[in-house]
Amino acid sequence: MFIYAVSSVRPLEYVILQYINDRETQTTALLVSDEAVQSYKTVDEAVQTDEEPKRKLRLAEDTSGQLANFLRRTEPYIIKQLTNNLRSRAFDGYDVDLEDDSTSVTSLHTLTYPSLQDKFQVTSLSWNSTGSVIGASYGQQEHEDWCTHRSVMCTWNLDRTGIVADKPDSKIEVDSCLMYIAFHPKNPAIVAGGSFNGEVLLWDLSREDDMLIATSGLGQDSHQEPVTKVYWITDAKGKKIYLVSASGDGKIIQWKIDRKAQKLLPKEGFMVMTQSLPRQMKVKGVRGDREIGVTCLSYHSEDRETFIVGSETGVIFKCSMYSQGPPAGSHIVSSIPLRSPVTFTYNPHHGPVYAVECSPFHRNAFVSASMDQCIRLYSLLQAQPVLTIEPGEGYVHSATWSPVKATVIAATTQSGNLLIYDLKQGKTVPVHNIPASSNKEPVYACQFNPQQTHLLATGDGKGRVQIFKLSSKLQQVSGKETEFLGNLVNVTAE
Amino acid sequence: MSEVEETIKRIQSHKGVSGIIIVNADGIPIRTTLDNSTTVQYSGLIHQLAAKAKSTVRDLDPQNDLTFLRIRSKKHEIMVAPDKEYLLIVIQSPNEV
Repeated sequence: MFIYAVSSVRPLEYVILQYINDRETQTTALLVSDEAVQSYKTVDEAVQTDEEPKRKLRLAEDTSGQLANFLRRTEPYIIKQLTNNLRSRAFDGYDVDLEDDSTSVTSLHTLTYPSLQDKFQVTSLSWNSTGSVIGASYGQQEHEDWCTHRSVMCTWNLDRTGIVADKPDSKIEVDSCLMYIAFHPKNPAIVAGGSFNGEVLLWDLSREDDMLIATSGLGQDSHQEPVTKVYWITDAKGKKIYLVSASGDGKIIQWKIDRKAQKLLPKEGFMVMTQSLPRQMKVKGVRGDREIGVTCLSYHSEDRETFIVGSETGVIFKCSMYSQGPPAGSHIVSSIPLRSPVTFTYNPHHGPVYAVECSPFHRNAFVSASMDQCIRLYSLLQAQPVLTIEPGEGYVHSATWSPVKATVIAATTQSGNLLIYDLKQGKTVPVHNIPASSNKEPVYACQFNPQQTHLLATGDGKGRVQIFKLSSKLQQVSGKETEFLGNLVNVTAE
Repeated sequence: MSEVEETIKRIQSHKGVSGIIIVNADGIPIRTTLDNSTTVQYSGLIHQLAAKAKSTVRDLDPQNDLTFLRIRSKKHEIMVAPDKEYLLIVIQSPNEV
């Protein structure tokens, strides 16, 4: 008999033998390296120093209350001194020059473009608006027929340290002779040029590829004769800047720039005609509406609507943008109405006028240079010139006023000299007479640098551009020059 | 204080006068007809110069004293009338007559 008895049996206790084994494992040392990771987030923040807010000037309080007495005591004396100063001639002609005085005009650079091989002459020069770049246009004087020359416009940046005299910084090729260039007065990269074919072109030197941004084309609206001058003018309010061109076909056209179509469209135009000539110059039998070639023009410095025009006939005209002169003859085809701008005629030169320029300081003075070997100073108000200077050096190709000193005029002649006159120091003898070309080539162009006033550039018949450094005397302004010039042009002519 | 204002106006309206500044003994402007930055510049510099001029005159001769200081430059003339408590600075441009 088996009795199964289930009894609580203590479960078998298994003794689990726990084997404890010491085991060692080792991992390779944990390589820990610090890595800083940061997500970058850039935000453009325009920072500009604000104009210091104008701190209201806190005037101190007058504590002692004696201010009235003080003023009572000193006022008579002060007034006396003020009046004495106005009348005093003690300092007349007393000029102290404490800085290093250089009395001569020296040539700094001679810039050439060798590929032109001396066949081209410099037709015009222009400084850009910052005064650091000089541009030169080249052309040939002798043309028998259409111009088939390929010419260039070169620019040199004089502020660069490594200026190479025979490598221009930029060259623009033009397919005819360039007669005149002018940099934009505000934008240092824009330059306008007029070519022999009558085309007016506009370039942007800051572009990489094609620098030509607009052209007037060669159609009916452009000039039919070589363009003699291009000029940038600011309108009466001083906001907009326009381009004006003048040419041997008698037309003076103000252009509108259409950037998208890359065209220059005529906006307003004038035509200088034979009916404006002084009576003794009129030729019998010639109709009054024949055009007179315009060789140069200059806008008045203060009065935005008056401009002076010099012509091939030697006559200088005073013109107005708003004049309602007689319209151009019917033989002229143009998309804009052209009319005569002439309001007054001055006593003519005996040869074509090569340059006219209104004085930047005095509103009544302008200077003209002509093939009749004279430089004349005119007053805007009278027909006879106030002063005639005959340097005796052949044709005078250009004359220009100094932008800093009201009585200084620079002129260049056929005999290759640069003449600088200071009207205050002698009206017939130049203060400086310097050869500006090798081999006595005629010097055709001359321009003062309006920003860096110690520089003057000249261009000669062999395509050489010379940069001169002016003496400090020519830049020192004593304040009495404008008055002197005013007195000169107010005197009736000799 | 209208007498003061009138006097200042009288001097200011004289031919050629560009501006007037009245500075107190500490060199701080108390009246001016010019703009802030110019006034501050002139008052600081001229005050120092006038003090130097006065001390120069006194050093050369202790019985002497500075009565008037004029500085003539290319563009203007600066006239300084010194006093125990004030300094009157008048700037005139005789060329622009």
